[in-house]
Amino acid sequence: MSDTAVAPTAESPAVAIKKARKKRPIGFYIAASWIGIVLFLGLFGWILPTPKWDSPFFDSLGVGPFSKGHILGTTQDGYDEFAGLVNGARISIFVSFIAVTVGGGIGSFIGITSAYFRGTYDKIVVTFFNILLSIPNLVLSLALLSVLAYSDENHPSSTNRRVVVLIISLIVVIIPILGRIGRGATLQWSSREFVLASKSMGTKDFMIIRKHVLPNVAPALLAIGFLAIGSVIIVEGSLAILGIGVPGGASWGSMLANGRGNLEFSPWEVYCPALCIAFTVISCNWFGDYVRTALDQREAKI
Amino acid sequence: MSPLLKLEDLNVSFATPRGDLRAVKNVNIELNQGESLGVVGESGSGKTVLSRATMGLLPSTATRTGKILYKGEDISQLPRDEVRQLWGTGMAMIFQDPMTALNPVRRIGTQLTESLTVRLGMNKKDAREKAIELMKRVRIPDPEGMLKKFPYQLSGGMRQRIMIAIAVSCDPEMLFADEPTTALDVTVQAQVLELLTELRKEFNMGMILVTHDLGVVAGHTDKIAVMYAGDVVEYAPTRQLFNNMKMPYTEALLKSIPRLETPTGTRLPVIEGRLPDPTKNEPGCSFANRCPYATDKCRTETPPLTDGGNQHFYRCWFPIGGGK
Repeated sequence: MSDTAVAPTAESPAVAIKKARKKRPIGFYIAASWIGIVLFLGLFGWILPTPKWDSPFFDSLGVGPFSKGHILGTTQDGYDEFAGLVNGARISIFVSFIAVTVGGGIGSFIGITSAYFRGTYDKIVVTFFNILLSIPNLVLSLALLSVLAYSDENHPSSTNRRVVVLIISLIVVIIPILGRIGRGATLQWSSREFVLASKSMGTKDFMIIRKHVLPNVAPALLAIGFLAIGSVIIVEGSLAILGIGVPGGASWGSMLANGRGNLEFSPWEVYCPALCIAFTVISCNWFGDYVRTALDQREAKI
Repeated sequence: MSPLLKLEDLNVSFATPRGDLRAVKNVNIELNQGESLGVVGESGSGKTVLSRATMGLLPSTATRTGKILYKGEDISQLPRDEVRQLWGTGMAMIFQDPMTALNPVRRIGTQLTESLTVRLGMNKKDAREKAIELMKRVRIPDPEGMLKKFPYQLSGGMRQRIMIAIAVSCDPEMLFADEPTTALDVTVQAQVLELLTELRKEFNMGMILVTHDLGVVAGHTDKIAVMYAGDVVEYAPTRQLFNNMKMPYTEALLKSIPRLETPTGTRLPVIEGRLPDPTKNEPGCSFANRCPYATDKCRTETPPLTDGGNQHFYRCWFPIGGGK
């Protein structure tokens, strides 16, 4: 390969990646491995030889951690703590992944197109985002859940319906967050000359968005997406504390909510899910931060 | 035969909070197949807006009136989708800054083949071969290796060559070069201009070369339009213009090119003053307050575009060397 045309500062991507790898902070490894563990437990937790999570062990009510057969103990009702956490990981991953991909997809589509086409459509979208953002997340989800999946002793709503509504309410929370990021980044990139250059060659608008805008906007969306997963887990936990999370004590938030009353007898019922939530959220934030700085460096080089 | 491109009373204005900004005023220009027209003027004189308006690439805040006759057909009123059919295959544009006109995250190969596959419907293999052929045409060393590179790995001159290759990829009949050499250093500048002229002759393209440098247009154009504050103030065949310039502004532009003979320490010649406020529409010659020959008549009455014979038009009450 002739190098006559290559600027002297250019180095092969492989070398650049190696260099970036060296500079990774220890926090990145901790965050990445925790996310890895949670992902593993969520996806493949069912192959672990854990006790059943959804039926109580009446012979061991409220035993402490590290007791025989129950590595993290059981709740006062006899549910195995570790099995609950593993199952909770599945629920948390499922809920947050769906909410962030669907909400992020819708949000960034709206945001990117509004910034690209501008005009009245853009004004409507900005107003819509601002209205959504001005309503506190929890209140919004609470309202949606109590309207769409209202339930009391006489009118129980089905578990599936509540989970679906919960996910919808989380999606609604995510849309304006990623939408604004997508819009902001697109405003910056779509005014670049290469977009105009592609347009001047007769490329259609959606083709330009797909081929020229999206690849440049994606890093920002990816980084904020990771941060969003963290906040979705928190919102889900908070809703569970308020009694409208994933029903049946399945998610980490619901475990926390159920164990709240037994704090003085079996504190591990609260500590275990709370630590899981905290670690996961911190890891997502760290990881998102790392993704952002790593991609920033790449951008600075360009 | 009707000319390749003819602008009739082209006006462009932008809506701003301070009122309408008239960026291009009543421009009439004609260009034949294979001919090259230089559009010269200082920053803010409307030359970039003129070329973008002709193509239809203006932002939505702009309003455009007048006729744009492309091969005798008025394209100014066509719907956007039909104009887009012309872009790339009929008219193409080379942009000022090759650093920003290439997408930083996509390989040269994909960017070069994009218009080939999208516009001409080529399959990937054919497009790749055509891309290599195009890169050979614009004299890029090792075209096959270049396909895999990213824009940041190339020098400015190489990037501009890639831009040129992209612009001519669909065999346009009309090429707009919007200050193609401003971001390049002088040695590369000459090479790129040579290349453009060569391609123009080979493909028999019409070319509009927008620049602020009279020296750049001198050797590479057939006609020159000098713009000032949105007006075409002088319009003549290149040789005629340089031999017999009428407009004090053109003279001032030529004088402001630094010369080697001047002794060290001499102040660089400049045109004193600034462009008039484009949102105000005051009577009189727009160059009057900077013109060394201006009289009261210049400040109160707007000079018309006068035909000086020999296809030489100028917008001045007191042209250099007298009237006709």
